[in-house]
Amino acid sequence: MATTTIKPQTLVGRGIRRCEDPRLITGTATYLDDIKMPGMHHAVVVRSPHGAAKISGIRTDAALALRGVSAVFTGADVAHLGPVPTAASLPGLRVPHHHLLAQDRVYYQGHPVAVVVASDRYIARDAADLVEVDYEPLPAVTDPEKAIAAGAPAVHPEWPDNTAFTYHQEGGDAAAAFQQADVIVTQRITSQRLIPVAMETRGVVAEWRPGEKSMTLYSSTQIPHLMRSLVAGILGMPENHLRVITPEVGGGFGSKLNVYAEEALVAFVAMRINHPVKWVESRRENFQATIHGRGHVDYYEVAAKRDGTMLGLKLKIIQDLGAYHQLLTAAIPTLSVLMMPGLYRFKNVSADIVGAFTNCVPTDAYRGAGRPEATHGIERMVDILAAELKMDPAEIRLKNFVQNSEFPYATATGLSYDSGNYAAPLKEALAQVDYPSLRAEQERARAEGRLMGIGLSTYGEICAMGPSPAMPAGGWESATVKIEPSGKVTVLTGASPHGQGEETTFAQITADELGVPIEDIMVVHGDTATVQYGIGTFGSRGTAVGGAALYYALQDLKAKIKKFGAMLLKTDAVTLANGACLDEKSGNSASLAQIATAAYVAKELPPNTDPGLVATRFWEPPNFTFPFGAHIVVTEVDRETGQIEIRRYVAVDDIGRIINPLLVAGQVHGGVAQGLGQALWEEAIYDDTGQLVSGELSEYAIAKAASMPWIESSHTETPSPVNPLGVKGVGEAGTIGCSPAVVNSVVDALSHLGVRHIDMPLTPEKVWKLIAQGGRA
Amino acid sequence: MIPQTFEYTAPATLDAALESLASGERKLLAGGQSLIPLMKLRLAAPDELIDLGHIPGLNEISEAAGTIHIGAMATHHAIETAAAIRGFCPLLAETASRIGDVQVRNMGTIGGSIAHADPASDYPAALLALEARVHLVSQRGERTLPYSEFLLDAFTTALEPDEIVREIEVPVEGSSEGYRYEKHPHPASGFAVVGVAVRVQARGGKITMGRVAVTGMGPHAFRDEGVERLLLDGASISNAVAVLGEGHDANSDTYASADYRRHLARVSAARALTTAISRVA
Amino acid sequence: MPGCESLERIGDNEFAMRMKMTLASLAGRFDGKVRIADPDPPARFRLIVEGSGRIGFMKGDGVLRIEPAPAGSVVHFDGDVQVGGTIANVGQRLIETTAKMLIKRFFDKVNGEAAVTPAVLPPASGS
Repeated sequence: MATTTIKPQTLVGRGIRRCEDPRLITGTATYLDDIKMPGMHHAVVVRSPHGAAKISGIRTDAALALRGVSAVFTGADVAHLGPVPTAASLPGLRVPHHHLLAQDRVYYQGHPVAVVVASDRYIARDAADLVEVDYEPLPAVTDPEKAIAAGAPAVHPEWPDNTAFTYHQEGGDAAAAFQQADVIVTQRITSQRLIPVAMETRGVVAEWRPGEKSMTLYSSTQIPHLMRSLVAGILGMPENHLRVITPEVGGGFGSKLNVYAEEALVAFVAMRINHPVKWVESRRENFQATIHGRGHVDYYEVAAKRDGTMLGLKLKIIQDLGAYHQLLTAAIPTLSVLMMPGLYRFKNVSADIVGAFTNCVPTDAYRGAGRPEATHGIERMVDILAAELKMDPAEIRLKNFVQNSEFPYATATGLSYDSGNYAAPLKEALAQVDYPSLRAEQERARAEGRLMGIGLSTYGEICAMGPSPAMPAGGWESATVKIEPSGKVTVLTGASPHGQGEETTFAQITADELGVPIEDIMVVHGDTATVQYGIGTFGSRGTAVGGAALYYALQDLKAKIKKFGAMLLKTDAVTLANGACLDEKSGNSASLAQIATAAYVAKELPPNTDPGLVATRFWEPPNFTFPFGAHIVVTEVDRETGQIEIRRYVAVDDIGRIINPLLVAGQVHGGVAQGLGQALWEEAIYDDTGQLVSGELSEYAIAKAASMPWIESSHTETPSPVNPLGVKGVGEAGTIGCSPAVVNSVVDALSHLGVRHIDMPLTPEKVWKLIAQGGRA
Repeated sequence: MIPQTFEYTAPATLDAALESLASGERKLLAGGQSLIPLMKLRLAAPDELIDLGHIPGLNEISEAAGTIHIGAMATHHAIETAAAIRGFCPLLAETASRIGDVQVRNMGTIGGSIAHADPASDYPAALLALEARVHLVSQRGERTLPYSEFLLDAFTTALEPDEIVREIEVPVEGSSEGYRYEKHPHPASGFAVVGVAVRVQARGGKITMGRVAVTGMGPHAFRDEGVERLLLDGASISNAVAVLGEGHDANSDTYASADYRRHLARVSAARALTTAISRVA
Repeated sequence: MPGCESLERIGDNEFAMRMKMTLASLAGRFDGKVRIADPDPPARFRLIVEGSGRIGFMKGDGVLRIEPAPAGSVVHFDGDVQVGGTIANVGQRLIETTAKMLIKRFFDKVNGEAAVTPAVLPPASGS
């Protein structure tokens, strides 16, 4: 056996290009709409155009008469099936029964009323127009504060107060803190309803095999295994007869972390018509019927001493839930409460949430899921307090940060922050922008009448979801690593990456651990028949939890490899390096291929060892992880038009250990793009009759490449002790840090004109009006 | 996403197109940048589309005797880049360059755009400021009218159902003229929330010719002769634009209220005038 | 009414209506009702028009006041228009403009029929 002396080149920490990208950018990947099957039919969903209405009749004859139409199903056909599930559970939570299709009432524009099936998508679309539904419009309410006020129309007749739940949480003694305060600042802050706008809309293909009574569902989802369990429940089908396959997913951002009526509906249709069925959402349907994000009206109060020490925090959240609960709807604002203290040492907190039903599509997780709202709120309040006390916003933050010596830090909201070095990213960001010079420049600009603003946010976030006791349906993750007889490696991850690049990250980790070339590794995910049960990809958990499970599976596998290596080399101890086992004494080595062959051919087995070379681990994280960072944004406001120019964007994010800097940069950029969208351009607007007037991309302004500033992205690296990789997670951090930095910057630009706060989005007219009115809205 | 069923014809000659147009629920297809999205949303459902794209000679740009002739099928990109337009009518080139985005400019045509007459489209301001003329043809004959008489109201032109826009004529701008198209685009659609097209001639610090036209503010673009008169009378820019839009309605939508639009139109006009004056040779 | 294809009395002061509205490329057929309410002849009455079609639904509710004037009558109209469905989802920027224009067309036609000069165009507020 030959010896090898190749110097190892570790991949972890290197910005190698993604393994996924060649197929994605050459159009050879398979997305849901690429799936074609013989005899495949097409389904189109008929949806309510009204925000609230009674259905007094449905006539399907005209649609059924159209040549090529095979079936039309309405509410009566699916009333016996299970409801769309919610996994959020809160004391006293009122859960309206969420049928797959509307029964006698519709509750939001886009509410599915019927499904038409035809031999091709064109006929199906035409037939959908022929379904006649008699609606009696009802008064609707789309503003959450109005919904819980007296006299509002009842969204669900059984609960005229439109309140799905109330929630209270406190820590320490907020009342006392407020009594002792020198200064109290209060502010109403909104985080407006947003539309996630994944580039690929939702879609489902269902293939039913009546002989085997088996169903294969293809869905553009973030959670194939959870979806399988829940959809099996809705259909009353044995779980082990349902297979869910996730093709390439063109973005999710949380909007596909869900179980939707259409997923069960398309399966039901396939069983009834005995043909495969495909349903793909149009953009307008996506806007109306895929969950929205955010939807907060928050009332903040901060109590402080004159020297800037913050003593207490009170928060009341009015959460716009929409008309129903989707998977995590009611749980999202509880994440805001958990993170309300941010990076600061608040010992005394008090929070209340009111969950309001509205005649809108439900809200649920969207990039940050409760944490952008909380961060936006506390970061605005810190700036408001700083302005009140005439303190520099960086100084007041440094004064109130949790100190390095205090980790792990127990927050007043019941969390344990894993590790942190909060001053480091802030100081680094301040140095990068040369903060004192910026302030001097601002003075000069003001003297010239120009409106220049410097805004910062120092954010903390909770991710790597999470310890199962705190999660609705499990927070562990799974990994299987197989070495095939030829020595090639297959990794099966229960996480379900949908653009994050885990095929690359996991290959890097595996390549380093086993010492094999990255080309020999295949990472598989998104098939419940092939991959062991997993929870999915969301909450910035892919690498921090999924990667940790992979790491432990690799350690198990390495132990077994060494046993076989020792057996083959007839020695006691071997080292594993560069894809081979080496006997240091003799200098002999056995390659991974040789070891794998031996393990499968099994002519000889080490003592107490089974044949084969596979390891599976289900890993339960002991805690969440807590990334943090500082964003600094320099803006200039056009006094005459209110338009905002971002002159500089600096982000220093600490996301723990960095496995692939290229992927991390991508996450930061994408996160900032969506944060900017919220701060400057986006808002899901329902009029007060329930019409979604921001109903297309021509009305709803998302970030485009041409509208983005240059992002100067850098990092500090404080490893997390929670997982062996030291990774914290980065998927949502950029979004969380962004919006408060932008708004703080614009308020700073206008503060000398009397402006104290502006709610997002910062449209030019809004800004112009504030300037014209000297700060009073 | 999927339009209603329609017939499609691609005539090879203008006469064939005019003949098809003479009967039925037919729509002309030029660049498709307004019509196709409407059809995909099922807001428009013509029985038949007559595609003008295969008719030779409809997209030519030429200059003759002080007039620039622009074929109706000339794309925004062609207008943005044609030497004749950049040289003799730079206001139009600048306006074309602000339409939509690269993909829209590659496909969209000036004839299609002015026939559609969207209140927030860009050309109308420039064409009014340039005192352009529109040449129409039908089986009944041909006629030419000033663009100001062609554009009537929101989505409403003087085009008869059997007529096709053949050509737009623009007088060559004076070589010492200053010009500017100042636009505030909608962040989602790129349409003009307001767009102001300005041409000026000046001598010795005095304005000797001024044209100020506004699109996006109201139901249709308009030339503001009140502002133009004040400029000729020697008023300052800010005094002149203070009267901009008087007597004209301003639109209101979720992005901009009528008041803000009116204000934005005045600010844009002031900036356009400042730039245009600085460009006077 | 411009584009009105049929108007059939179905009750006191109530008519079933079929209307085709054309606006450049847009053509929408609406089926619905026209109702005259709060009649106070000859000075004023309320006109409620409701229609629904493939492109969406609309409801117009306005008060007409008729005043005598030297050369005929002056009609004042003050109303609200609510729109729903596709036209509301994708056309909100044009709803007010279009509503005003169509109302103006209506009165232009009325003017043509009865030599009445329309005055004071409504500040029709869209929803």
